Amino acid sequence: MKLVFHRKRIAGTLVVVPANERSFAADMKNFNFPKSRSLKLKEVMGFDKRRVVGPDVCVSDLAVFGLEHLFERGWLKREEIDALIVVTQTPDYLIPGTSCVIHGRLGLKQDMLSLSISQACTGYLIGLIQGFMLLDQESIKKVVLVNSDVLSRKVSSQDRNIYPLVGDACSITVLERDTEGSVVHANVRVDGSRSGALMIPAGGMRQPHTLETAKLEDVGDGNWRAREHLFMDGAAIFNFVQTEVPPLIESLLKHAGAPMDSVDFFLCHQPNRFMLEKLADKMKIPRAKMPNDVVGHFGNNSGATVPTVMAFNLGERLLREKLLVCLAGFGAGLTWAGMLLNIGKFDFNTIIEYK
Amino acid sequence: MDKPEFYQRLAEILDVEEVKPEDVLKEFDGWDSLAILSVLAMADAKYGVSIKAEEIRSVVSAQDLANLVEAKHKPE
Repeated sequence: MKLVFHRKRIAGTLVVVPANERSFAADMKNFNFPKSRSLKLKEVMGFDKRRVVGPDVCVSDLAVFGLEHLFERGWLKREEIDALIVVTQTPDYLIPGTSCVIHGRLGLKQDMLSLSISQACTGYLIGLIQGFMLLDQESIKKVVLVNSDVLSRKVSSQDRNIYPLVGDACSITVLERDTEGSVVHANVRVDGSRSGALMIPAGGMRQPHTLETAKLEDVGDGNWRAREHLFMDGAAIFNFVQTEVPPLIESLLKHAGAPMDSVDFFLCHQPNRFMLEKLADKMKIPRAKMPNDVVGHFGNNSGATVPTVMAFNLGERLLREKLLVCLAGFGAGLTWAGMLLNIGKFDFNTIIEYK
Repeated sequence: MDKPEFYQRLAEILDVEEVKPEDVLKEFDGWDSLAILSVLAMADAKYGVSIKAEEIRSVVSAQDLANLVEAKHKPE
């Protein structure tokens, strides 16, 4: 579905990552897996270091820490926030939404909108779309978009397919109206019939938590996982991305009237280096235009990988200049989305550590 | 489709000298999730063929895999 927004901009982005770092090489020692194959995985997939929270840290802890930082620096004023959108699939509670939890902890004003959205790796783009729509309201001048997950808490430490590559992070993006005549193009798609490829089967209402759902089960290849843990069919997801993302981006650029080579950077979700290299090759984009090294520094931290790549790969540059970028997210749902927009001259664009 | 070339590409993925048509894929040390992804990527990039994850899991020998790719491959 094609979407267009006028006179909207990203004012700045802050990414909060846990100070706690784990290494792929050390994690792989816990598995009965040949060292040579681990090294190959590291080399091809780009897995290396990742940031994970402690066992009791929640999304609201990272978000409150980051928002307090913005208030202290004067990059955002508490009373300016007219809407708070929180996109997460690892909420603090089933009820209430994490947006309300953050609102309460920060003592924000009552006369505002609080919204909690459940979206995974496409979450940042879905959040931007929602935020830009809200900015059409006269009384909403500033939207704060929090996109965060603590997925490391929902993966089995005995599942080699996913444990050594997942990271945690919280991104905070401020959205506002643009006085210049900017145009943002977006394209979103969904295929719920393939939702089983990436899911946590138990712990919700369909399969509520029991001792059974929490029990580790032998899922083959020496991996153990409970039904309350995240399951990913890696090969199916790889195929999904290679098949669906290139036509989506082509359609997005065509509709926007922007040739492929006019785009400065393609800032995509960061599952691993291999997938992004293949994606760039397939779309005939120079690999240098599609950064792919977030996973090796922070792990795959769900939707927040897109703002992480903005801050990590283009941090200083986006403070000084403006670039035409194509954002892309893809993952659980299955959902996938692209967005073409000018970003830059940010008020802030940085990564801080949560201790 | 040039089958010897396909087996050579498969050998590179599996990190071995040679792959014979009758070789059973599961018996290679290198036949793991990364190899499967590499085969999917190779089939896509070199032959314009999209193989489903469940299809690749159902093949037994290197020849089965070559046949699967060939059946989907449409020469230009």
